[in-house]
Amino acid sequence: MNRTEPENSNHWGPWSAWRAQHRVAAVTSWQKMVARPGATWLTWIVLAISLALPSAILLTLDNLRETLHGLSGAPQISVLLSLESNLAAADALREDVEAWPEVAIVSVVDRARALAEFIESSGFNSLPASLARNPLPHTLLVTPAEGLGAQAVARLATRLEAEVLVAQVVVDARWLERLEQMLRLGSRWVQGLGGAMILGAILVLANTLRLAVDARREEIQVVRLMGGSDAFARRPFLYTGVWYGAGGGLMATILVWGFGLWLSGPVNALLLLYDRPTQLLWLGPQYPLALILGSACLGWLAAWWVTERFFGH
Amino acid sequence: MIELDRVSRRFADRDALRHLSLTVPAGQMAFVTGHSGAGKSTLLKLLLLLDRPTGGEIRVQGDATHLIKGRAVAPYRRRFGAVFQEHRLLFDRNVHDNVALPLEIAGFSPRDITRRVRAALDKVGLLARERADPASLSGGEQQRVGIARAVVARPEFLVADEPTGNLDPGLSAEIMALFEAFNQVGVTVLVATHDLGLISRFRHRVITLESGHLVEPNTLP
Repeated sequence: MNRTEPENSNHWGPWSAWRAQHRVAAVTSWQKMVARPGATWLTWIVLAISLALPSAILLTLDNLRETLHGLSGAPQISVLLSLESNLAAADALREDVEAWPEVAIVSVVDRARALAEFIESSGFNSLPASLARNPLPHTLLVTPAEGLGAQAVARLATRLEAEVLVAQVVVDARWLERLEQMLRLGSRWVQGLGGAMILGAILVLANTLRLAVDARREEIQVVRLMGGSDAFARRPFLYTGVWYGAGGGLMATILVWGFGLWLSGPVNALLLLYDRPTQLLWLGPQYPLALILGSACLGWLAAWWVTERFFGH
Repeated sequence: MIELDRVSRRFADRDALRHLSLTVPAGQMAFVTGHSGAGKSTLLKLLLLLDRPTGGEIRVQGDATHLIKGRAVAPYRRRFGAVFQEHRLLFDRNVHDNVALPLEIAGFSPRDITRRVRAALDKVGLLARERADPASLSGGEQQRVGIARAVVARPEFLVADEPTGNLDPGLSAEIMALFEAFNQVGVTVLVATHDLGLISRFRHRVITLESGHLVEPNTLP
């Protein structure tokens, strides 16, 4: 009964046996793939393209979000005070508002200076003579705190409006809201497209693996006849799936990296034009890692799915 | 010991085995013979759990095979070495790796595998062809590789289905002598063959089947 059990010599136990079986399955399935480089490369490339496209769009969105995050502090709120209020009252209000947590910087624009600047920039030199008095009020320029969202900016505006001296609050935050909405739409779009592309990748993998299983049908039968467990017979195919997946993920990383390199010139120039000294967000370590590991998992899943009809109960 | 107790295998159009009862004691070598369709292959398939009886019970060393299901099937099959007429070698690997397969399945260490594969190939006279591609071997050599694979993990039972079907008489006798040698070291051997001339040259028990029935009584020579 125990004659077929392995000898328990030289620290060789079930754990060593299990590892040895995995090593053999991993190495032989890799060798089989290398022996047919044409089919292997083709599968890797198809897989890489299916994964690289959503990844590249995801990277673009990440960049946009990063840029937007930098811009979100930029929209200033112009707080026009009532015409009766004087400069001292404006200064007092500035000190009050600057203490609010959602506010970063407040500056006071003197009504006389504002008029002078307006005349200078507009070229209406004869304007003061035709005006009985300065029509401009004192103004506070409020810069919201860093990272404040569009809704928080709107709430800040409402709070400012409630102040006694304030006549009108002007916020140009609608564009910010629109951009955020567009990004949200973009994310959905990537999720949908990415899902479809990944499904395509799984189908390509499954088809390749199905052909591999069909070609090795005899091997599966012989292994079972020799008393190999289903897990043993299945193992080479699961490793084949992992190798296809990991290779495709690695190639997808290279594709996205090349795409980023190709785009970085124009994008960085564009950012410079906007006086933003930031650089294009580069591939963080999470991209290659997620691509290769995720893709290897996909390969394993596809192999499991394909072999299920042989080994499923 | 292999015991068959009123074993039947009914197919839609015919009965392959009908109430077959016989006992093969441990350590015996027996030939199973009869015309094609007499039930020889069916009997071996039932023993390897490649098929299940529609009636009766088979016991192997006292274990009723109808209770061996699911995950228990693989360890049960490891107690058998099987040889087929068409060899069933894997042509994507060399002779050594073909013979090593049962040892890999059983979880032997690489060192033990090498040692045992060499010993098995030496016994069938093919140690020199260890690294050869099975397709480059002659029919008789391929069958000897198949036998080496069947015995390498030292099974309790060796079953062979028409192992000499494609071989000339000289080679057939050589193969049978190999089975005899394994039987002499304690392996229970069951060989299905229709080659009566070959059987007559060996003095072993003969189990004759006809239309799924046992024709001759269980007589030991």
